[in-house]
Amino acid sequence: MRVSSIAVVAILAGLPGVAGAQSAPSPLTVTSPTLTAGQPIPKQHTADGENTSPALAWTGAPATTKSFAVVCEDPAVLLPPTNPQPFVHWVLYNVPAKAKGVPASLPIDPAAAMPAEIAGAIHGMSGFRRPIYRGPAPPPGKPHPYHFIVYALDVADLPAGLTRAQLTEAMTGHIVGQGELVATYERKPPTPGR
Amino acid sequence: MPTNLPGTDVVVIGLGAAGGVAVLPLAEAGLDVVGLEAGTWLTNKDFAPDEIRNNVRDWPMAVQKCNHEVPTHRVNAKAPTTRAAGHVMMNGVGGTALHYWAQSWRLSHFDFRPVSTTTARYGRSRIPAGSTVEDWPFGYDELEPYYDRIEHEIGVSGQAGNILGTIDRRGNIFEAPRARAYPMPALRSTGFLDRMTAAGRALGWHPFPGPAAINSERHDGRSACMYHGFCNRGGCHANAKNSPNVTTIPRAQKTGRLKVVERAHVTKIEVDANGKVTGVTYVTGKDEFFQPAKVVLLSTYTYENSRVLLLSTSKAFPKGLSNNHGQVGRHYMSQSTGASATALFPFNLNSWYGLPAQGVAIDNWADDNFDHSALDFIGGGNLWVYSDRRPIGAANMQTFGRAPSWGPQWKAFVKENADRVNTAYLQKSTLPYADNYLDLDPVAKDPLGMPVCRITADYQDNERKIADFIQDKMELWYRAAGAIDIVRGPLGTMGLNTHAYGGTRMGDNPETNVVNRYGFSHEVPNLGVLGASVMGTTGAHNPTLTVQALAWRTAEHLVRNWKSIAS
Amino acid sequence: MAERAPSRRDLFRLAGTASAASALVSGSVTVTEAATDGEQARPRARTRPPREPLKALTAHEADLLDRIAELLVPSDANGPGATEAMAVRYIDRSLAGALSDQREAYRVGLAALERYATQTRGAAFLKLTETNQISLLIDVESGTATGANVGFDGSSAAFFTMMRGHVMQGTFGDPVYGGNEGFVGWDLIGYPGVRTVVTPAEQKLLTPPTRTRASAYENPMFNKAIVQQKPAGSDRDAD
Repeated sequence: MRVSSIAVVAILAGLPGVAGAQSAPSPLTVTSPTLTAGQPIPKQHTADGENTSPALAWTGAPATTKSFAVVCEDPAVLLPPTNPQPFVHWVLYNVPAKAKGVPASLPIDPAAAMPAEIAGAIHGMSGFRRPIYRGPAPPPGKPHPYHFIVYALDVADLPAGLTRAQLTEAMTGHIVGQGELVATYERKPPTPGR
Repeated sequence: MPTNLPGTDVVVIGLGAAGGVAVLPLAEAGLDVVGLEAGTWLTNKDFAPDEIRNNVRDWPMAVQKCNHEVPTHRVNAKAPTTRAAGHVMMNGVGGTALHYWAQSWRLSHFDFRPVSTTTARYGRSRIPAGSTVEDWPFGYDELEPYYDRIEHEIGVSGQAGNILGTIDRRGNIFEAPRARAYPMPALRSTGFLDRMTAAGRALGWHPFPGPAAINSERHDGRSACMYHGFCNRGGCHANAKNSPNVTTIPRAQKTGRLKVVERAHVTKIEVDANGKVTGVTYVTGKDEFFQPAKVVLLSTYTYENSRVLLLSTSKAFPKGLSNNHGQVGRHYMSQSTGASATALFPFNLNSWYGLPAQGVAIDNWADDNFDHSALDFIGGGNLWVYSDRRPIGAANMQTFGRAPSWGPQWKAFVKENADRVNTAYLQKSTLPYADNYLDLDPVAKDPLGMPVCRITADYQDNERKIADFIQDKMELWYRAAGAIDIVRGPLGTMGLNTHAYGGTRMGDNPETNVVNRYGFSHEVPNLGVLGASVMGTTGAHNPTLTVQALAWRTAEHLVRNWKSIAS
Repeated sequence: MAERAPSRRDLFRLAGTASAASALVSGSVTVTEAATDGEQARPRARTRPPREPLKALTAHEADLLDRIAELLVPSDANGPGATEAMAVRYIDRSLAGALSDQREAYRVGLAALERYATQTRGAAFLKLTETNQISLLIDVESGTATGANVGFDGSSAAFFTMMRGHVMQGTFGDPVYGGNEGFVGWDLIGYPGVRTVVTPAEQKLLTPPTRTRASAYENPMFNKAIVQQKPAGSDRDAD
């Protein structure tokens, strides 16, 4: 499929609590051949389709980048009640610095190799407690926002099996670039009489 | 119209661990006893080592009464109710003691006198807010002779730690003193349990084998335990588990004075205009009977004890039998047995065989055995590690985040680790609270159209703090033995539990207790209650031996005071 | 998106899994695998036990469950799995007897699963690639398939839990119930088997005892009629 539009760039303010010498992260421009900012995500990337991960592309990473991380989360679903965090659909990190993006349909078998363009990348644990991409499956009736966030980091080789929260902690102080693409998805309520 | 039966001296409702024991002193004393049991007799032919039947299909029994009456639960009065698919108890002659773990502990001095002990050591303000806890109307010393009696009547195996003040370090150095040794030595150890014992000692703690109502050697004409691994929710094929159906009930029957009625579903305890019990109405299939009795002992398990009283309304007791003070259902507790710890070891444990009562205990962190001055809770927990594993259970093992629950990675994980995981049993002190009680559900009914029991209860801060503390200790112990990963289970909520207490609490004050210090109703002189429903605290150990000691004591009191109670 | 025919690369991309040829041919007796260049060598011809006459399931339902069971407990380098254990035979026998209350749950759940396969991945479940079959099962397991409105009764996760539970019982339970054929399940996890007597030495060692190979019910002392009994509470009125 061809790229049909350019995603809107989200520019982030500087990180909290970072003192002195560190400059604000460079803004990354995040695009996708199948996702459009503010528009519904195509079914193939959701539980209403094959549930395969979308391709992403990014530009604007600074020269200090040693690896990339990608997270997809839904801030409309906040869990657990004691410490509400967005529900996490995708955690990917140790993406090599030379990568300009990630291809679509990353493997769901942990034993399978990642595509050569992102050799060395590993999945972290999603909110579904599996180290894979699982796309939108919102409760029916209203659209949810899905934030595909890309981080450029000045570190690499993060340990395996990290959750989003653990990844956030590992990235703190090392984010040299950040960007996101926000798309939506809505499920229809069941047809009466089914 | 129910058929009137010939009268008897005593009706015992329910022949489980409590009722099944009480019938013996009554029958031996020459009283005529009718034991009404909702379930049936079972024999060791019914007790195959079959995991699907025992553990997966949840002990199918000929009589499903308790499964039709599963209580509902809500965490507080504002929350919606939920209902489990099946009950934790079973109906049968011998009751849930047919398949229980048979751990047989005595409680400690602290458990009988938590208020005065805490007040003296740490100050009254350390009693948690909202708790309705009282000291029991008597201390451990009063019950000691009955503990001793039961241990010898039914056969309990164990290693004493304190005989009349002399400490034996092979046993529990913290236990309250006992008059003599157990009638049988403790169940044997295993390679894995030896390792845990050594690790406990290396931490400076005091591990010891636990007591069990299970033969460790040939006893009373029956086999020793065979350690075959199906004791957990399983009956004993060797008749080595000392449930009442193989111990006290047959002995009571030999006196000729006990009549056991199976499939007897009691619907109401009847009273006369003066508020004295006259007998019991029950149904068997489609037939209804009235069994007159001079005295009734209610021993149907904690939930049902409160429920039968609440359902037995009359002019004298419009809110339920013995409930004019509004105390029936009050001071309910599910013992805090959640908040588990599961460990992964890098080597096989050979734990396929054994039984839950075959284990090693640490009581350094139980009761008031340690200084609570700098802590923010009272009470503690028993750490229990045991040998017990079955194949389907192993296939459902905790994967420590290392594999999903199916597929090739899962298969590789369980192939390597099926025998490398162990879960500890952590019983923790639990208190009664004003907000935790039993009553009748306004909606859910049994097949006879009668409301089921509703549990309104949740753990409070004291229980949560003990849970964190005890999980910390258990993790230390597991890691000292070589564990490489630990998963902590959630505490959960105070729902249906095999260790359920309260609802007919025992105490001197009729404003806050249903039965007196002998287990007889403050309001109804010829009604007695047996079971953990009379207990005011849980302690950090299994209830059954205490339940049986109390039941024997109540029966003995009845025998000694027959004229005044029965007339 | 229309489902294209699985390529050899699809079939054998996943290391250590069972042959995907069985996904396309239901009820076959002999399943063969051919390794592609660069793939790990795998056992060659592997015979799946012939299916016995069904008592409760339809042939198509049994085909679906055969494939699902194979994905849940695969036959691979770590040994035989649910297929060799005849786990689906356990399910079929149970649904015809003690678990008859759950027969309808399978009819509804498997029909919903089929609809979910067509609706989301463009083909009947048995015609999907192995990757898509696994991806679908993950969505059923997590409950996200529920919102696709394909007719799961309640959450799809509840249906998955029941199915997985039965496959595990059929792989690791006592053979008297129809599964754990040849003690495949017990051998996988190293369970030494049912014994009615366990000696101190058998508990002292840090390696397990020799394997007994017998159902509990080969011991004539046990009442075999118990096996047919329905689970606790199964005849309780719904409220």
